[in-house]
Amino acid sequence: MDRTNKTIALIIKLIFWALLIAFFVWAFANNMFSKIWEQPDTFLRLLGEHITIVLLSGAAAVLLAVPLGIFVTRPKFRKSEWLIVGIANLGQTIPSLAVLALAMGFLGIGISAAVVALFVYSLLPILQNTIAGLDSVDDNMIDAAKGMGLTNAQILWKIELPNALTSIIAGVRTALVINIGTAALAYLIGAGGLGVWIFTGIRLFDNAFLMSGAVPVTLLAIVIDYLFKWLQFALVPKGLRLARKAQNS
Amino acid sequence: MIHFNDVTKVYNGNVKAIENMNFTVEDGELVIMLGPSGCGKTTLLRMVNQLESITDGDIMLNGKSVRHSNKIEMRRNIGYVIQSNGLFPNMNIEDNAMIVPNLLGWDRKKMRDRFNMLMELVGLKPDEYRKRYPHELSGGQQQRVGVARALAADPPVMLMDEPFGALDPIIRTHLQEEFLQIQKELKKTILFVSHDIDEAVKMADKIALLKGGKMMQYAEPAKMLNKPANSFVAEFVGQDRVLKSMSLYTVRDLANALTLKPVMESPDSQNINENLSLRVAISKILNQEADQLIVENDNGTRKGSITLDLIEQFLHREIKESV
Repeated sequence: MDRTNKTIALIIKLIFWALLIAFFVWAFANNMFSKIWEQPDTFLRLLGEHITIVLLSGAAAVLLAVPLGIFVTRPKFRKSEWLIVGIANLGQTIPSLAVLALAMGFLGIGISAAVVALFVYSLLPILQNTIAGLDSVDDNMIDAAKGMGLTNAQILWKIELPNALTSIIAGVRTALVINIGTAALAYLIGAGGLGVWIFTGIRLFDNAFLMSGAVPVTLLAIVIDYLFKWLQFALVPKGLRLARKAQNS
Repeated sequence: MIHFNDVTKVYNGNVKAIENMNFTVEDGELVIMLGPSGCGKTTLLRMVNQLESITDGDIMLNGKSVRHSNKIEMRRNIGYVIQSNGLFPNMNIEDNAMIVPNLLGWDRKKMRDRFNMLMELVGLKPDEYRKRYPHELSGGQQQRVGVARALAADPPVMLMDEPFGALDPIIRTHLQEEFLQIQKELKKTILFVSHDIDEAVKMADKIALLKGGKMMQYAEPAKMLNKPANSFVAEFVGQDRVLKSMSLYTVRDLANALTLKPVMESPDSQNINENLSLRVAISKILNQEADQLIVENDNGTRKGSITLDLIEQFLHREIKESV
């Protein structure tokens, strides 16, 4: 069973890579990325804007959502959870385009509106994963820690956060990857980014513009995804990583 | 010394979990709190290190009121072992075991020495386990580390909440015996929660039997078995309480109390070491392995023989004496 699964996985992987290579061969043969070579300055500016929007909004969301997640999981403030998660939920239920439009309504055209919109949009996944991660910490462990005389702050830093870290980082990763895609819409409110080329391509039926914008966005998402996988590996305590691995095998 | 002084715990203003509890755990004593689930034994234990608040009355820990002590400081002076060992998966075994000394700011060398010493004490090789993680250890090994962790800062008092409850019977018996050895050496003041009467009889200096938040009987195991204070105690300790009480006596106790019968060579006799319990002796006889058992000391010197009626005589005597 295990063996057939592995074989199937390998075949799918091979097909995937073959398609990917075929795509790039086709794209290069048809000069699809020509815009990148022709206008390197513009490309770098758009890429820079794109990354700035994603990182600023992501960082702000982490700085707010993680402490908020810690706050609502404290027994004293547990009752506020529905309210805070509800508000964050609101940001996520509104379609991303509408969030951008609303932000533009308040902040006008430009990069700040896009950053605020994506910030609101990223809160929920990070908040929810922080809460889920902290909730998944075994109560017996916390009980033991308390009984041995750790202060609440020590329990949070030494026990709860390390054990919740995998889940928190996964939340940040999800939020950022979604953000990279959504930031392509930032062009619509005049915030720039690689969306500029994508939308130009759509309007002009020009595949070269389209691909020169869309493929880097995709690659950026993949790079960030891998970066966070590595970050998870680097930051999560070794014992937890090994325990997870042992559980899965 | 742990002294319970009229301790009462009330939940939600009217549900009495603990009612006017009064008893004392003397220095160096191992007291087991026993009772059906919901009797309040765990609550009472957790009131000592203030994981549960006290509604009324007080607990004196070495003469100091726990209600008025600094909780954090006090807890660092109490060893705490729970059923699901509660080891931290993000720390290796050494960091786990040394968490309290670490909080107390011990230096590296002192912690290392302490770790090595404690691991030897609980029967694990320090260097083999130092860098390993909790999930790599078996349940029994984890609980050993749990005990080592509780002993780390050498607290005079230990609280143990069904520490061996989650282990399989063979490992549990092992750990109980080892822990008794450790306790013999260290002489800690221990309050221990259990729901297992056999564990209590085997390990406790005194048993506190609780029901519905009230003390039913507080006595030495032999006394509780031979002279239960009321019908609840009698029922809880079991119909076979006389048999259970026999595990408290060794063959030597009998030899000291009564005159042994002379040794008569016969094919139906077997040898028995005088350090074994009377429970072993009687099961040998009942099992028809032998009609009489020849008592030997560690050097193999024969002291005489015992038979079923001699054991019977001894029990009558003991039960009457403890009245």
